[in-house]
Amino acid sequence: MRSGSETVAKAFGLVALAAFVVAFPSLASDPFVLSVGVVIVSYAVLATAWNFVGGFTGYISLGHAAYSGLGGYATGLLILRAEVNPWLALLLGGLVVAALAVPVGIAALRVRGASFVIVSIALVLVLLLVFQSWESVTGGSDGLRVPRPFGPEVLRPEQHQRFFYLHAVLLAVMLLCWWAIDRSRFGMGLKGIREDEDKARSLGVPTVRYKLAAFVISAFFTALGGGLYALWFGFLDPIFQFSILVGSNMVLMSLLGGVRSLFGPLVGAVVVGYATEFFKAQYGDTQMHLVAMGVLLAVVVLFLPDGVIPAVRGLVARLRPEQASIREVTQEELAEEVRR
Amino acid sequence: MTVPKEGLRTEGLTKSYGGVRAVDAASVTFHHGRINALIGPNGSGKTTFFNCVTGMVKPDAGTVTYHGRDITGRGAHKIAHAGIGRSFQLCRAFPRLTAVENLLVSVRPGSVLRALAPARRKADVDRAMELLTRVGIEHLAEVEARDLSYGQQKLLELAGVLMADPETILLDEPAGGVNPALIERIGALVRELNAEGRTFLIVEHNMDMVMSLSDHVVVFDRGRPIAEGPPDTVRADPLVLAAYLGG
Repeated sequence: MRSGSETVAKAFGLVALAAFVVAFPSLASDPFVLSVGVVIVSYAVLATAWNFVGGFTGYISLGHAAYSGLGGYATGLLILRAEVNPWLALLLGGLVVAALAVPVGIAALRVRGASFVIVSIALVLVLLLVFQSWESVTGGSDGLRVPRPFGPEVLRPEQHQRFFYLHAVLLAVMLLCWWAIDRSRFGMGLKGIREDEDKARSLGVPTVRYKLAAFVISAFFTALGGGLYALWFGFLDPIFQFSILVGSNMVLMSLLGGVRSLFGPLVGAVVVGYATEFFKAQYGDTQMHLVAMGVLLAVVVLFLPDGVIPAVRGLVARLRPEQASIREVTQEELAEEVRR
Repeated sequence: MTVPKEGLRTEGLTKSYGGVRAVDAASVTFHHGRINALIGPNGSGKTTFFNCVTGMVKPDAGTVTYHGRDITGRGAHKIAHAGIGRSFQLCRAFPRLTAVENLLVSVRPGSVLRALAPARRKADVDRAMELLTRVGIEHLAEVEARDLSYGQQKLLELAGVLMADPETILLDEPAGGVNPALIERIGALVRELNAEGRTFLIVEHNMDMVMSLSDHVVVFDRGRPIAEGPPDTVRADPLVLAAYLGG
């Protein structure tokens, strides 16, 4: 069972994290650093959204770019074509994508393991073609310019700051949801599906419904992440929105941090986001940053197969004295043992 | 003894894989309140029969009824909700969940609100601990299942099946790969649970266990029952001997 000191440490960590997030924009030395900060929280939002299905059910979707891309386009198109308020457009976009995720999920979640991975990719490729070809609506390969939600009086650094906080709030909401599911019966059923789906069924878990619910929640949050990014970045191009790379990045960040941990995807996003910028700065215009990134990921997979967070937790547990393998027995317990 | 009530019953149950009829028009009745055993040579269709009954696979033809109600082809979770629990042939505990969490996965039918309630509710945890105590592994409650020994995992799986409080329990080779002392213990548990009114259907190769434990034995060969009755009668049946000795 959990000790009091652990709870205190957790609460302290949480407060420190929140304080850092709140202070970051004023700590950032220039708008570029701030924009990198926005990119990293955006990564964290997408990876955490992905983890609602990947972490809980173990269904590895490589095609989550479909939902972030659709979220972005839905938001942009609602603003441009229907003149909806940008924030309402963002929310509506998320709901539209969630509705779409129902039939997609019903079809895709019928297959498991590697087959699911392949099926998940299919939708991204279809959407890429559709959004490139349907020029009259989507703008095609020329892209779609999404109007900024803030007026022209809000200058660029100020924009970055506002979007940094907006992303952070969305991330906080998602983390809260993930935490609530993690400790619920629903979450326990999902984890059963991840560990052994047939056994979970035999224990009464309605696996089809549970998987679908997790999938739809994940698609909804992914779409919100994509929509918020579109509002910040202001431009959508199908080739970048519906890209396998975007989806595989969500998977990599989550695996890197640890898919079974609440903060795993966030940690992964910070590592990947920071490392990407660092290597880019080191190697300039060459493609060397991709090589360096590959080496980093290989090292993590080799030495921390469960991700960063479980590895750190394991280390802490090993260093703690009371976590010995031999259980301490009180006198009462001994007496009880004898009486038996 | 009173006249046994009909519990689980199959009629013409058939399941083929490719050209092989794993279960071939099997009609069997398992009486309620008893310890029924299902035996037969390897590949005689016992596990496929189990899977058809528990909804893990859909039968091609035939019906499964439980207390007279047709449950053929229902989803596995619905059959679990109907009161039929099962274990798996090679022990299957959820490896990266703790022992107590393994039990908490068990889901009883309920509303969305019920599903969103905390998993570690006191009543549920208490019940889980009670069952872990019953099988004798309560001191391992917070240990992940993958760190338990094979025998402990078997006991954990049994406790997990009990969590849903099923009135009928199907065990697929409970003695497989288990040491003699533990076989004794599992046998004693089965007897105890039967005395509480739970019906058992056990697939088992360990003949000592089958003969000492069961009230009623059904022998499968090539996907269908070839003999049934009390253990002593079945043991002497020439058809059974032929099936086992490769007649």
